This record gives sequence, structure tokens and C-alpha cells, in this order.
Amino acid sequence: MDDTDARDVRETYEEIADHFSKTRAYPWPEVETFVEEEDPVAVGLDLGCGNGRHVAVLAERADRVVALDASRNLLGAARDRIDDPGMRLVQGDAARLPLRADSVGLAVYVATLHHLPSREHRRESLDELARVLGADGRGLVSVWSTAHDRFDADPDAETGFDTTIDWTLPDGSVVPRFYHIYAPAEFEADLEASQLQVESVRVSSGNCYAEVQSQA
Amino acid sequence: MNEDLLDIICCPLDKSELELDVRDRDDGEIVSGTLTCTECGEAYPIEDGIPNLLPPDMREETTA
Repeated sequence: MDDTDARDVRETYEEIADHFSKTRAYPWPEVETFVEEEDPVAVGLDLGCGNGRHVAVLAERADRVVALDASRNLLGAARDRIDDPGMRLVQGDAARLPLRADSVGLAVYVATLHHLPSREHRRESLDELARVLGADGRGLVSVWSTAHDRFDADPDAETGFDTTIDWTLPDGSVVPRFYHIYAPAEFEADLEASQLQVESVRVSSGNCYAEVQSQA
Repeated sequence: MNEDLLDIICCPLDKSELELDVRDRDDGEIVSGTLTCTECGEAYPIEDGIPNLLPPDMREETTA
């Protein structure tokens, strides 16, 4: 897995964007529940927006929603699918965000952090989320975890593992995707080491979720 | 790209402000142009209405 870098993950999604988008139509209930309980903000952020499945959810609470992804083809799919006047598409890297400090009031960072190729990148990315969240800003972070049924892993281990999970296109060709599957303890450790303030962490449907704030 | 993004986005490398140079505009939206960092001078393209603010080492090596 040493040769996997952030560009590889982006290129993977460029290749599968069209088919991937067709299979990712609905928002996650965990995201809807989180956002529904939040106060209105000026700017929302969907970090790793993919085809924009959570943009409309965020738009219920945010005047403008920055939809950021590394893959241009996924951003193109978001533009085709989502007709929301507040949506602002940005191509960028989750570990080096092109967004100003304190510019975001409400963020969802769902099923993306686990694609970053090293622990260093993943921790940088959490610090970047802390930087862009304003003083009262709040966010929801999710990753795939070792607690998921499909992994034969010890969910009580200190760390998770790197793996490759194939995406099969309609023509039968297979595109590998890099994942770091988090042990819940590791997810908590990375959050604790970051500039984020953690309000709660839980495991649901094989994913780890954390509600976070910027450190005051 | 809507011009109101300028008060949110910044250079991904040094987080400085970006200067907008519009090449093509359609019905208020910026279709193509360049965002240039006012500090390090790195230029980021706006293509097909979407600003590409990936750090230079993550960009396409060749245009597809």
C-alpha cells in the first residue's frame, strides 16, 4: 500500500464517478438526524461530497453549501443531480483545504477520511476541519470501521488496517479503492490528537461517527 | 463558479487570499478563469465553472 497516494484515490473516483454516482442517491439517516438538530448557519460544508448526496440536507440549514471533492467527475455528477441555488462546487484535497479559517458553520465529513492514504494525512485533515470551522461551528465525521460485519477484524484492537476494496463497473472491469478501516479506538485517538473538540463518538451500522466542534 | 465563493476560498498551500481573473462569464457565473494566490503566486484554474483548488502535486499530469 506504500505506493498509494492521494492522487491515486482521486483518479480512482474519476474513473468510477458515473457508475458510483448512480448507486449513491440517498442521504444517510445519521447525517439527516445530525443536521436537523443544528441551528441555521451562513456556510455549510460537505467535505468529500461525492455526487452531492448530502448537499440538499445541509441546504436546509445553510444559506450556501460548499461541496468539496477531489474528483472533478464526481463534482460534475453533483452538478447534474443537485439543483440548489446555494450549492458551491470546489475541487480540493481534504488534507489541505482551500477554505479560510472560521469560514464554515456546519460541516459533514462522511465516508471520506478513510480514503486518505496515511495516518499523517488523516490527522492533518482533521486539523484542517478544525481550522475552517468557526468558533461555534459543528461537524459530523464518519469513517468505515473494523466493527463492520464484512471485516473479520478485532473491533477492540488499538489500530485498524489498510485495504483495497474493488469497485466493479457495469462492463465488468474492476477498479481498486484504497481504504483505511478504522478501529474505533484509533478513530478516537486521532480525534483526540487533533485540534477538534470531540462531543461524542459512537459506532452505527459498521461506521464510526463523531460529533465535533472547533476548539475554543 | 459564483463570485461569492471568493470570501470563503483561499490558497490550499499557504491559506492566503486569491485574486480572480475572469476569462469567460455566463449569466453571472464564472465559466473559466484563474485564481492566483496573492502570497505564493500559485495559479489555480477555473474550468467548466468549477475552481480546481487541488494542491499542484495532486493535479492531472496531462490534460485528459
